[in-house]
Amino acid sequence: MDCEKFDRIVLDLLYDELDELTTAAAKRHMEHCARCRAIGSGLRATREVGALPLVEPPEGLELRILQAEEQAAQLLPINKRLGRGLSLLAGYAMRPQVSMAAVLMLVIGSSLFFLRTQPGDREHVLVTERGVPENDNEIVTVRPKKADAPEPSRIAAHATASPLREDGAPRRDRAAEAKAPAAPAAPPQAYAAAPAAEAARGATSLGAAADDKDVEGSEANADPDATYDAAMAAYRDGRYSEAQRRFDEIANQGGAHAANAALYGAQALRRVSGCPTAAPRFEEVRARYGGSVGSDAAWQAADCYRSLGELSRARQNYELLAADPSYKARAKEAIAELDQRVADQELAARRASAAAASPAAAPAAKGKPAAAKPATSSK
Amino acid sequence: MAAVQGDATDEMLMVRYQRGERKAFVELVRRHNRSIYNFVLRQLRVPSVAEDVTQDVFMRLVQNAAEFKHEARFLTWLYTIARNLCIDQLRKLSHRRHASLDQPARDSADHTGTQLLGDTISDPGPHASAERNALSSEVRSSIVKAVDSLPDDQREVFLLREVASLPFRDIAEITGVSENTVKSRMRYALDRLKDALSDFEEYARALR
Repeated sequence: MDCEKFDRIVLDLLYDELDELTTAAAKRHMEHCARCRAIGSGLRATREVGALPLVEPPEGLELRILQAEEQAAQLLPINKRLGRGLSLLAGYAMRPQVSMAAVLMLVIGSSLFFLRTQPGDREHVLVTERGVPENDNEIVTVRPKKADAPEPSRIAAHATASPLREDGAPRRDRAAEAKAPAAPAAPPQAYAAAPAAEAARGATSLGAAADDKDVEGSEANADPDATYDAAMAAYRDGRYSEAQRRFDEIANQGGAHAANAALYGAQALRRVSGCPTAAPRFEEVRARYGGSVGSDAAWQAADCYRSLGELSRARQNYELLAADPSYKARAKEAIAELDQRVADQELAARRASAAAASPAAAPAAKGKPAAAKPATSSK
Repeated sequence: MAAVQGDATDEMLMVRYQRGERKAFVELVRRHNRSIYNFVLRQLRVPSVAEDVTQDVFMRLVQNAAEFKHEARFLTWLYTIARNLCIDQLRKLSHRRHASLDQPARDSADHTGTQLLGDTISDPGPHASAERNALSSEVRSSIVKAVDSLPDDQREVFLLREVASLPFRDIAEITGVSENTVKSRMRYALDRLKDALSDFEEYARALR
């Protein structure tokens, strides 16, 4: 360091504003330079002697300042006061704890919102067998799902077409059950009676039943879905003979629709020929397919036998249904009803025999057997 | 809370005051009203005026609090306000200034509660402190008179350096001149004081 540079930094040296290296260099220079040593020591002595005495501020000055500040704060324009308030709130809001709490509340709140609103405004939702939401006043029939095909089934609305929803019973998931009877070992004898030529002839005439557009487009390709739809269309239109034939064909061919087709075929047969013919068919379907289709068939069979007055056979079917959770309650009620009916019949029989023994009671007992006569309506 | 505020920098306190914390402003006043008052007093040399101007400085701080940026140095901002107010006041007083104005300043310097600036900027031992407190009122008057006799630009720099303890870089920012100019003015001020206080230099050497 030379004297010129020392002159430039001497004040920094005096007020300790130099870094350590420069300070050391300046001090080394002062050790061997009398001029610079004299300047440095002179300035330091002047600073020490010329230390300005600090005066205490007047008493009350601090208080007056604070009071003035308070008054000034009250006179602040509303926008500045709002700005300060917002700034204060923002200061608190920017704290990590507050930010994390806000994020947590947002996550919880949005989760609650979506959980609450996702299902829609209904308290509960009725769904079809394939999980499709169902309208409130609509009875639906479900085309069974093609085996291993994930696409949802189409739903056709019809007021009376479905034997699967009698008494408003809850629907069960038949998707898996429909697969079980997909490949029957051998078609039932009754189904096998349907000639193949007739099936081919029926297939060519399906265009007439096609209010369902899908049926028209896919029939030529013998699509199982289209064939089933055509049969269902015939059933809905009241062409029960045709529907029965088509359902029987589908059942005989096997596949994903076979079980439901067999059930609908029996239902169509009941419409055409009545319960005396349909009841054994229902029992065949029950025995062949089991599961939910079998339960539905057993219910129909029991209903038929009850209408025919064959209460013991009806009871057998109801007892089978008592093992099915979805039919259990209704089956027990039906059994109780049958028992009551049997009891009534026995009572009537006893009275009739008593009347026969007593000539005076004969007129009174004349109408009793009529009460035990089974209902004749079988369609 | 007080402990926290005691550890907080001036800039942090000012930001808190911007958010509406009055305690932060109280702490700022407590820290700086004494040095501001002394700076203003030595510039204006009238205690009553210095008291009002000191109050005005803090009121300007209140009114312009929203303009303070937290990355700025608080003391630089505060002394810029004080300097501007002093300049305004000096203009008002310039036509009325006469010799008798110096009298109250000397009276103030004689106040029993005064403290030597050297106590705050150097680190003398207890013995030296006791010795320094024993300086006669004549010495104190001479120091005050020597400072008051400095040219305005030199006195301003001297006070900002000695009273406010601001570094030369900040003084340059406040006064609006280069740092070298500030150092030059400071050097001239010290040379003048050296001449004015040459009689007491031997006394100062004796203290070391």
